[in-house]
Amino acid sequence: MTDHERHLGLYRQMQLIRRFEEEAARAYAQGKIGGFLHLYIGQEAIAVGAVAALSASDYVLTTYRDHGLALARGMSPRTAMSELFGKATGCSQGLGGSMHFFDVEHNMLGGYGIVGGHLPIAAGTAFASKYRGDGRVSVVFFGEGAASIGDCHEAMALSALWKLPVIFVCENNQYAMGTPLTRTLANDDVTARAAGYGMASDRFVCENVHQVMEHFDLAIKRARELSEPTLMEIRTYRHRGHSMSDPGKYRTAEEVEEHKRRDPLVVSRTALEKAGLGDKLTELDASVETEVQDAIKFADDSPEPGPELLAATTYKGAFAR
Amino acid sequence: MSGPTKSVRFREAIRMGMVEEMERDDRVYIVGEEVGHYQGAYKVTEGMLEKFGPKRVIDAPITESGFTGISIGAAMVGLRPIVEYMTWNFSAVAFDQILNNAAKMRQMSGGQLHVPIVFRAPNASAKQVGSQHSHAMEHFYAHVPGLKVVAPATCADAKGLMKTAIRDDDPVLYMESETLYNLKGDVPEDPEFTVPFGKASVARQGGDVTIVSWSRMVHVSLQAAEELAKEGLDVEVIDLRSLRPLDEEALVANVSKTHRAVVAYEGWPYGGVGAEVVDRIQRLAFDELDAPIERVTTLDYPMPYNAKLEQHVIPSAERVIEAVKRVAYRSA
Amino acid sequence: MAKIIDMPKLSPTMEEGQISAWHKKEGDAIGVDELLAEVETDKATMEFRSFDKGTLLKILAPAGSVVKLGQPVAIVGAAGEDVSALAAAGGGAAATQAGAAAATTPAPPSAAGPAGPPPGALAPVTTAGALPAAEGGRVRASPYVRKLARERGLTLGGVAGTGPHGRIVARDLEGLAPAVSAASAAAAPAAQDEAPEVRPLSMMRKTIAKRLTESKQTVPHFYLTIDVDAEALHTLRERINDDLATSVADDKDAPKVSFNDLVLKAVAIALTRVPAANAQFTPDAILYHRRVDLSVAVAVDDGLVTPVVRGADKKSVLAIAREVRELAGRARQKKLKPEEMAGGTFSVSNLGMFGIDEFSAVINPPEGAILAVGQVRREPVVRGDAVVPGRKLAMTLSCDHRVIDGAVGATFLKALRGLLEHPGQILVL
Repeated sequence: MTDHERHLGLYRQMQLIRRFEEEAARAYAQGKIGGFLHLYIGQEAIAVGAVAALSASDYVLTTYRDHGLALARGMSPRTAMSELFGKATGCSQGLGGSMHFFDVEHNMLGGYGIVGGHLPIAAGTAFASKYRGDGRVSVVFFGEGAASIGDCHEAMALSALWKLPVIFVCENNQYAMGTPLTRTLANDDVTARAAGYGMASDRFVCENVHQVMEHFDLAIKRARELSEPTLMEIRTYRHRGHSMSDPGKYRTAEEVEEHKRRDPLVVSRTALEKAGLGDKLTELDASVETEVQDAIKFADDSPEPGPELLAATTYKGAFAR
Repeated sequence: MSGPTKSVRFREAIRMGMVEEMERDDRVYIVGEEVGHYQGAYKVTEGMLEKFGPKRVIDAPITESGFTGISIGAAMVGLRPIVEYMTWNFSAVAFDQILNNAAKMRQMSGGQLHVPIVFRAPNASAKQVGSQHSHAMEHFYAHVPGLKVVAPATCADAKGLMKTAIRDDDPVLYMESETLYNLKGDVPEDPEFTVPFGKASVARQGGDVTIVSWSRMVHVSLQAAEELAKEGLDVEVIDLRSLRPLDEEALVANVSKTHRAVVAYEGWPYGGVGAEVVDRIQRLAFDELDAPIERVTTLDYPMPYNAKLEQHVIPSAERVIEAVKRVAYRSA
Repeated sequence: MAKIIDMPKLSPTMEEGQISAWHKKEGDAIGVDELLAEVETDKATMEFRSFDKGTLLKILAPAGSVVKLGQPVAIVGAAGEDVSALAAAGGGAAATQAGAAAATTPAPPSAAGPAGPPPGALAPVTTAGALPAAEGGRVRASPYVRKLARERGLTLGGVAGTGPHGRIVARDLEGLAPAVSAASAAAAPAAQDEAPEVRPLSMMRKTIAKRLTESKQTVPHFYLTIDVDAEALHTLRERINDDLATSVADDKDAPKVSFNDLVLKAVAIALTRVPAANAQFTPDAILYHRRVDLSVAVAVDDGLVTPVVRGADKKSVLAIAREVRELAGRARQKKLKPEEMAGGTFSVSNLGMFGIDEFSAVINPPEGAILAVGQVRREPVVRGDAVVPGRKLAMTLSCDHRVIDGAVGATFLKALRGLLEHPGQILVL
């Protein structure tokens, strides 16, 4: 595969996530999606870059902002959209919703709704890999808002102590819901604490998808070959509100526009256009459009799960009343 | 019980269950504070580090939420951890992991993942350990769909329920009692001996009044029953063994025989497993009741340190006796 | 292609929104994610951003409008498109001016909190269909007692409860006999030529059916029969009735005693001698009664009832005779009170007046035995070495084997035979 072919592939993944979520936002506005809907728009290059560097057998876990990672990992847009619509054809049969995307086939082990609560889980999947010696790496994504909670600290302390093959990835999008970094962290360098745990670290501003891949290559090598954890902090920016009900008044329109100009998706597109691949991009965009529209139609047409599913997904065998 | 038995203490019975299952299945390991080199805070895991090595008997720093979450993660991808808390009181800082991850994983993932894990620790009152170390935690956990909760009172059940817990594919919370660790009893040596969940046992037969109990309070209830026998009241004592699932068939059958019931357990009177037992009986055996069901519980206060006050607050044989007399319409 | 833009859902709980300001005016070009308007929701003022690229052709809901979720607010499309048809379809729809909406907004629904019941929701309690209550209020009884009462056909009204607050508890039912209400038979529907006459079960029949079935199915019966030499009893009865006739002016007013009255008294005495036969089964214990209360079976129109002669051992034969006649009379008029039929300890049933020589009866729970008495028969008997005309009386005792064994039943019958064959005792004991 040429570098251009690879880049086109990464571009297509990012564009798929972008368009999937834009249409999810429309569907939310139409009342087809309930509850919370947290969009990843602006941060796509991180999930796509990380997944490109990982093996298919490696475990990935993330927060409730989980559509991007699931799609990057290979979940079909049909399955993903159906889950948002609460349909039986969704990845969690409509029982999980936007915040709880799980896809065991692609080793995407979940989106989690309790801030920081999934960091020990990822250390646990890494623990199992080490216990079995299966060589898998676990990667867990979280926001800088999770950096202060107890589970974040315990997961990192134990992973360093027990030398677990895990990568902690802080996607620092600079707002913990509506609270800016300056009001959540006294030291805004999240990786500064890695020294305290005795753990390697890496910190950078996300500019493009290739850069993300390169940084992950190093951390993955450390985990796979040395069974050692890494704390990574990536500065990024979400274009949309924290969730669909976030009016976003805590930041200025100028700030948002400034970041939109530096959007890694736009960076990839511009680079590919410059390389004379404009026609190819048009073709890819059209195929993404078709795939997203097909996902919406599929989710619309899918049946809803029935109550018989509830007991069977609470206990194995007889219900423990 | 058939086959050869061995007389052991309660702590050894628990250990027998764990050791046999670790020998049977190398996915099973134990993690917790002081479980390895220290040989267990209450010596339940004594000798296990020597037997299985540090890979499978893992000392954890004081990070309950951390090692609980790690074990849940490990269970999700195929291991079968046993998590020991020094006492159930300390599980409170890991409550989020148990509630939000262990209990919900099967549903959140639409059935793709499950969490075969055992959490175990001594539970409820010990001796003068004060308000933060005397909680009866089964009431908090039995409330949660997705969890199973068991609480053995005998050595044989301690072994048999532990083995069933380890083999179960859902999270099981196993409640011990510091005051029972030295109890001696016969346990079957058969490595295939298990005790099923959701089946109560009859600790004492009687026809006048049923006492429903579990864990340490089974023994207190038996003591009360002996005293009551001297006064002509013939008391049946039911040992629930398993709190979720709950053996409602046994409750209904028994109350249909005696028409009177007392539920005796540790834990506060507001809600809880005892209230659940009362609900099942009144709902499923309403026409069999000749008296309101009484509960004998820990009094509705945090546990005081003072020895006499502590005994005042913990449910006693005397309070059980009074309750039995009230439901039998014998003035106490 | 122009299309209508609807009010979007901007928060999980939003049901309607008020357009606080439009940031685009008709004719403006718009892009995806561009701010169209601000919308006041239940949570906050939210940005309403475009999902489409094109031109804002028409604003259907001006600033200040309150619009329900999914209702039209604007039309977008290509510049210069004719939107009159769309506007006609969607314009002027659900939008209401904020002021008007506020003035007519109803009170929030009940989710707001527990309010009082809506006026008129509570109808006065009517007595029709209410459960029968005891005199002076409702009967306090445990659920188990109510079940037992249903099963045994007991009426709880007159029972004194020994539980807290006078609650009737299981032990208070010991020794109670069923209250068989004397309901009249329902009118039978016109019978077809060959079809059986259909007569709905009266309450009494239902009770008899239920209780006797239960008795025969759950009480292990066994039977002991004796044939008593009734010559002396016959002679005694003739003598008593002759003597009683002299006590009044007119013969037809004279009191009389029947064979059954003499048998009742003899049974009462025999029960005091063999108290083991005056017993009742309970799941936990056998109750040996210290009172002798005889249930006497009385045939009535569509069944039978069992009024109780209480303390029969302490009453004279004549007193028993008068009481039985009085009870039987009121039984046939269906005027017995439930408590007059409750609490017997032993039953006697006599079918002698129907010419029956001998029969066996079904025990009347919770009693432990019933004596079935036949007619006094003329029969040759051997007296000394001669066969002479004599009189015999056959009686069969049905026993509940759970409380009365064969030997106890036999001992009782032996005592009864002794009394009946030497009946002078009956008058003085």
